[in-house]
Amino acid sequence: MYFNSLDFALFLPIVFILYWFVTNKNLKLQNALLVVASYVFYGWWDWRFLSLIVFSSLVDYTIGLQLNHTAQPSKRKLLLWSSILVNLGFLGFFKYYNFFIDSFVEAFSFFGSPIQPNTLDIILPVGISFYTFQTLSYTIDVYKRKLEPTRDIVSFFAFVSFFPQLVAGPIERATHLLPQFYKKRKFHYSQAVDGCRQILWGFFKKVVIADNCAEYANQIFNNSAEHSGSTLLMGALFFTFQIYGDFSGYSDIAIGTSRLFGFDLKQNFAFPYFSRDIAEFWRRWHISLSTWFRDYLYIPLGGSQGGTWMKVRNTFIIFLVSGFWHGANWTFIIWGFLNALYFLPLLLAKRNRTHLNVVAQDSKLPSIIELVQMGLTFGLTVIAWVFFRAESVTHAVTYLKGLFSSSLLSLPTIRPTNLLVLILFFIGIEWIGRRQHYAIEVLLLKQSRVIRWAFYMIIIAIIFVFSSDNQQEFIYFQF
Amino acid sequence: MKRFLFTLLSFFIIFFLLEKASWYFINKAPEKEHDRRLEKIVAGSFNKDLIIIGSSRGVNNILACQLEDETGLSSYNLSYKGVDILFQLFILETYLKFNPSPKKVLLLLDHKHTFAKGNPLFFRDDLLFPFSKYNYINNKLIARGKRNYGSKIFGLLRLNRKDFSTKKKKVLPNEVLTDCGSMPNPIKRPITLEYQDEKLIYQVNNENPKKIEAFKAIQKLCQTNNIKLITVFPPNYKAFDFGFMKRFNQLNNSENSVIIYDTLNPIYKNESIYFDESHLIRDGAKIFTSEISEFINSNK
Repeated sequence: MYFNSLDFALFLPIVFILYWFVTNKNLKLQNALLVVASYVFYGWWDWRFLSLIVFSSLVDYTIGLQLNHTAQPSKRKLLLWSSILVNLGFLGFFKYYNFFIDSFVEAFSFFGSPIQPNTLDIILPVGISFYTFQTLSYTIDVYKRKLEPTRDIVSFFAFVSFFPQLVAGPIERATHLLPQFYKKRKFHYSQAVDGCRQILWGFFKKVVIADNCAEYANQIFNNSAEHSGSTLLMGALFFTFQIYGDFSGYSDIAIGTSRLFGFDLKQNFAFPYFSRDIAEFWRRWHISLSTWFRDYLYIPLGGSQGGTWMKVRNTFIIFLVSGFWHGANWTFIIWGFLNALYFLPLLLAKRNRTHLNVVAQDSKLPSIIELVQMGLTFGLTVIAWVFFRAESVTHAVTYLKGLFSSSLLSLPTIRPTNLLVLILFFIGIEWIGRRQHYAIEVLLLKQSRVIRWAFYMIIIAIIFVFSSDNQQEFIYFQF
Repeated sequence: MKRFLFTLLSFFIIFFLLEKASWYFINKAPEKEHDRRLEKIVAGSFNKDLIIIGSSRGVNNILACQLEDETGLSSYNLSYKGVDILFQLFILETYLKFNPSPKKVLLLLDHKHTFAKGNPLFFRDDLLFPFSKYNYINNKLIARGKRNYGSKIFGLLRLNRKDFSTKKKKVLPNEVLTDCGSMPNPIKRPITLEYQDEKLIYQVNNENPKKIEAFKAIQKLCQTNNIKLITVFPPNYKAFDFGFMKRFNQLNNSENSVIIYDTLNPIYKNESIYFDESHLIRDGAKIFTSEISEFINSNK
């Protein structure tokens, strides 16, 4: 079920009413309702996928309990690896099987020994990359004794399948989300209103910014050979805003919806396009995934503890794995590699933790230096996104060649004024709200209700009008 | 909780009332259109003896006013550029729903493209958008997944970005609507055409089954409403497509009349009457329309 569908518009109020009015007196029943609702939400795509999530939840629940009963290190390690193998095995099969087969075939053909490919017609279960990482975090934390395993199977199943963030994150840690299922939730007016505000902004990002940028980005990327450098630049910019609006919009809707049910999810995006260097960008983009890789991959590999070589090696590993996590295509791997390259000078110069605060923390506008830094960082990410969006590495390279040609200085043939105005409005609101969790968190809160409601109604009106033009799926569902 | 629900409800009631202002733009949208034939169909403004449905070949190549003069049958051209047979079926269904049945329907075929999958012809939803103030049109858009069910309640969901523009849409010289609905091409396109003489092979496996069904539905509609269906093969600046003709004959009900342009007439091999390889200019359209009139007069 998509957030931007009529199905969800009916589903959400029904679950909300049952949750707060029917099951509110019994915590177990309330959690059970969340499990059922989440399975309905997930099964709406394809009920067969439910078996995977149920199996994955059962495996990690059982292994968690076993880990608690076992003190023997070798047995504990075996249990941990069992969980890793089962979870990554599913992920590997559904997401990467065909990629590996194709890559082997290509490699053999390259060396003059062509072989017949044996690919399978596999459908990627929605959100598998997200919930796999979420359940893995539970088992690893239990293994590391950072978390007591749960005996409450309903809470555990609710934690794995919690519908607002099930299919595209934020990837929650068991240490943060699971305990929230143990405690009785209370309804707070301010929390619910705040949730609605965040949902509203999420829809604006998705429906108005992302979907409309997608229309032009697709048009330009799909016929890139026919366009001038300046139009290709527009295409890359449209995709840059599309991916941000799409993914951070989803996160906002997920976090806002969770707040309606009394849950607190972690911030997933912190205005990444206002970053002053790539290190800051990666502290602000898809935070739940970046921190997951940091805690469960980078640090176990030695993190920044070893010498320079080890730091460089570990950095490249997490960026490459992160690229590969996004999809079974060389374009994603090169996207990860490119980001690692961007990161390298900062790492070597020990300047990767220079910008830990918010840009222009105490002023309304950035300084000239900050503006230049933001512009450069933004430019680098735009180039990297070309690889992320392109159909193949060759496509990305020819796209960039075309972009950096002499026609870059010509007038773009595709320049939708309405959309460009909306993007500027969007950047403006995001800049104003950059110190908050989401752009309109405190915007106009000091104003009268009439002004606030007028603003929200204008946003809804824009969403309505733009939603009727073209609807697109969330990009991150494919990951 | 009560406070939250009350606030939410109040917000949406006010929004619901205020958004009704959007009907100003919805009602204004048709006024920006040069081509308002669809609106006339839905408003039931027609009472014609003969209507023409088809794609650009229909709207360019047949001069409905000339046909009216030559046959004495009141005629109107309801063909649209770039549309497929599914859209043509929609036009016929809509016409019959809101207007008295015509005596004859001319259905212009697009040769190998008539039943083919994909482009260049498709169901042009963009032609429906400006007229979504009509529930019938809006329901059609909902059925096609181009609008959501909310548009039955919220006017804003019937609007497009373009509806806020105050400018009238630009009309190209070959999109100027004449009194009887035709849009003849005034001049030849500045390109040199090459007559394609090779034999074409028709591929049945490239057919869209929905388009086949649409053709059958058009035939059935005409039959049930006592309408004489005349299918028309318009001229192209290339050899006649016998492969398509063969396939067409398998699908066509033998009671229907078929007009094939005079393939032996050398004028159809003269580049000067063509706009491009599949569309005639006005002079060519006059010749072709006369041929159709002659057929109708001799089969009255």
